[in-house]
Amino acid sequence: MNQAPVPAVKPVGQRPGPSIGTWIMALIWLAGIVAAMAGITRYSFAPGRAGGVPARWPAASRITLATNRPTLIMFAHPRCPCTRASLGELARLLANCPGPLAAQVWFVKPVGTAADWTNTDLWASAARIPGVTVHCDEAGREARRFGADTSGQTVLFNQSGELRFHGGITIARGHFGDNPGANAVQALVNQQPTELIETPVFGCSLLAEACRPDQGGTPWKP
Amino acid sequence: METVAAQVGRPGPIPGAERTDALFLAAEHKIYVRTDRLFARLMIFQWLAGIVAALWISPRTWIGATSYVHWHVWAAIVLGGAITGLPVFLVWKHPGQVLTRHAIAVGQMIFSGLLIHLTGGRIETHFHIFGSLAFLAFYRDWRVLITATVVTALDHFFRGTLWPQSVFGVLAAGPWRWVEHAGWVVFEDIFLIISIRQSLEEMRGLAERQASLEAVNASIEIKVTERTAELTRENAERQKAELALRESQELYHSLVEQLPINVYRKDAAGRFVYVNSRFCQVKGRPAERILGQTADALLTPAEAARAASEHELIMRTGQSLELEEMYPQPDGTLWYFQVVKLPVKNSAGRIIGTQGVHFDITLRKRAEAKLNEVHRQLLEASRQAGMAEVATSVLHNVGNVLNSVNVSSSLIADQIRNSKVSSLPKVVALLKEHETDLAGFFTTHPKGKQVPGYLTGLAAHLIEEQAEILREAGTLLSSVMHIKEIVAMQQNYARTSGLLESLPVVALVEDALRMNADAIQRHHIKLVRDFAETPPILVQKHKVLQILVNLIRNAKHACDDSGRLDKQITLRVTGGQGRIKISIIDNGVGIPVENLTRIFGHGFTTRKEGHGFGLHSSALAAKEMGGGLSAFSDGPGQGATFTLELPLQRQTELL
Repeated sequence: MNQAPVPAVKPVGQRPGPSIGTWIMALIWLAGIVAAMAGITRYSFAPGRAGGVPARWPAASRITLATNRPTLIMFAHPRCPCTRASLGELARLLANCPGPLAAQVWFVKPVGTAADWTNTDLWASAARIPGVTVHCDEAGREARRFGADTSGQTVLFNQSGELRFHGGITIARGHFGDNPGANAVQALVNQQPTELIETPVFGCSLLAEACRPDQGGTPWKP
Repeated sequence: METVAAQVGRPGPIPGAERTDALFLAAEHKIYVRTDRLFARLMIFQWLAGIVAALWISPRTWIGATSYVHWHVWAAIVLGGAITGLPVFLVWKHPGQVLTRHAIAVGQMIFSGLLIHLTGGRIETHFHIFGSLAFLAFYRDWRVLITATVVTALDHFFRGTLWPQSVFGVLAAGPWRWVEHAGWVVFEDIFLIISIRQSLEEMRGLAERQASLEAVNASIEIKVTERTAELTRENAERQKAELALRESQELYHSLVEQLPINVYRKDAAGRFVYVNSRFCQVKGRPAERILGQTADALLTPAEAARAASEHELIMRTGQSLELEEMYPQPDGTLWYFQVVKLPVKNSAGRIIGTQGVHFDITLRKRAEAKLNEVHRQLLEASRQAGMAEVATSVLHNVGNVLNSVNVSSSLIADQIRNSKVSSLPKVVALLKEHETDLAGFFTTHPKGKQVPGYLTGLAAHLIEEQAEILREAGTLLSSVMHIKEIVAMQQNYARTSGLLESLPVVALVEDALRMNADAIQRHHIKLVRDFAETPPILVQKHKVLQILVNLIRNAKHACDDSGRLDKQITLRVTGGQGRIKISIIDNGVGIPVENLTRIFGHGFTTRKEGHGFGLHSSALAAKEMGGGLSAFSDGPGQGATFTLELPLQRQTELL
């Protein structure tokens, strides 16, 4: 019987494949991507500068120290994107905190900024956290008093005005999730080990005089 | 390249495997290319979405009131672009290739890692990995899933080791946490690979069915082509047959309706079931007044009875009848018909009726009668013409002989006129003068002494003259006898006209020769006789002589006209198979080929004095005697042969 014509199918094996150059390019690409990923990850874990936090409640501060419970103060830049994670962790911390805690968030308003400088979604987010009072730190006076240079810097004083913790409550820039800062606060509120705990802070510089992390900050490593 | 069997997990050859493999690989490649393009669009979208997300979530980084573009934005643009760039380039340049889809798998997984990182290790972002794996399963290539899984596992391993929080979201992940994450990926991979395997089997089945369908389709195509050709051929043949049928019908209609014939058909009871228009015309009735009627309605009682009798005979015996019928007309004339009556049989061969054809032969009959009359007159004229030919020949010969008679008479007259006998009176007178003394006269007289010698010489001379005159007289007598013979032959010819005689053929030929003998001799034509021994022939003598005299005269003319010196006529008589052939062969001027076919036509002649009737009447005469006359020549200058062929004994006398 005669073979009728059938639709032509180009054999796959006859199609030209990528050249050696393409393969080399792909390998270079892969190496570059991996290196870039490592770099950006490394950047994410580079903390901001840690200021000189006073060991006792600063007398000059206009902030009132709670006498019946520990006082937690977070200094934040109202426009720092990484602070969103810090506020999130604060909310989680307060929700999971086993004991009473007086929590305050102070948004630094640098000198010369507009009146609505602090009118941001971060302010609104902080205000929505139950048990948290939000305040504006004009010219960063309170931040200076408490030695806070980086947004997300959190301090915890006991009822006696003794500093129990200072640092960040995120593990990296803008990273949600388990972190040693929040764990320390919880432990302190839970009357666990009493020694001072410090953690690195990941966020923008609160004040102009503070340099950016990549301009002098030391990466924190757990 | 992996084998098809390995891909579909089906070992061993299968029917049409080559075509199935080709179709399967083609479909697979099509899926690769289609999925490549899907991922190219997806990755570009991801890239742009990543940039938008970076701009939305962390557009700027701040130092007090001063801000800069956030690193995340640059990472989204540059690193995202880099991750996207190569796979998109490979899709553009090498769609469907192994490297392309594996580069896509690597890029997509790295992009997942980037997104996880940019979102701060949000566990929700891990869904990008599982979604990407599902998309990669579109390739239906389990190797791509392996590549993606390896990349993800390595990413989780290294970052989980170095920065566990960035990937696991927990501070203190165990050293095997990456294995747990990779395990979930493998978990999805298992289902996807099973799904891929099933999908490939379905594709394989589809390829097999398509190959099978193609084979069936090819077979059908061939059959359709063959059948189409067959139908075309059949259609052409059918059209040809229809055309032939139509032409046949037209021919039938033309024959039946236009020829001057009457056609009818009767059923078993003798009722007309068909008549043609001519029949109606002759009967003077329309068809509707004939159909269903019997012959009684159309013919006289006697004719009808005869027709019924014939119809019954045909119905009973099945034999056909052929006869002539004559119908007197009111004006007293007679119409003649030749009638053929046949039985009509059905497919089983049973006689179901009769049919007939009436040929109107009235005119033919009249023409035949006229023709017979003309023929008779023609034959008579021919005979008379033949007799005239013979008579002409006789008179010509007689005239020639009369010349001899005239010459002989003149010679005799001259001989007598110049005879020495006139000297005798002088001798007699001399003797009378000396009758008294004849002795002395003879002895003494000087003249007397010479008389005896003179008389002796005169006597010898007269005897010689007498012999000459007697010889001339003999010639004269011979000529007269010749004339007598010729005349007697003519009388014999005329007397025997119309009678059949048994005659020797050679004698007939010699008679004909004699009638032309003088002319042949005078023109110095050599005669050659080639006579075979033949039995006598029963013929009408005058007709044969008429033909032979004519042919010999023509041969003589042909020889004369040739101008050649060796003129010759050969007469050949042969016999056999109950027939006699008499050939007159000359070496004269010959006959052009174009004239051979019309040489026996009436009025055809090549001689000025000819009237074109001799050969025509000879041919007719030969035909009347049951024989024939034929002519042959190799062309001009080649002579000619005329052959008269006659039966030894005629079976039927035409006249």
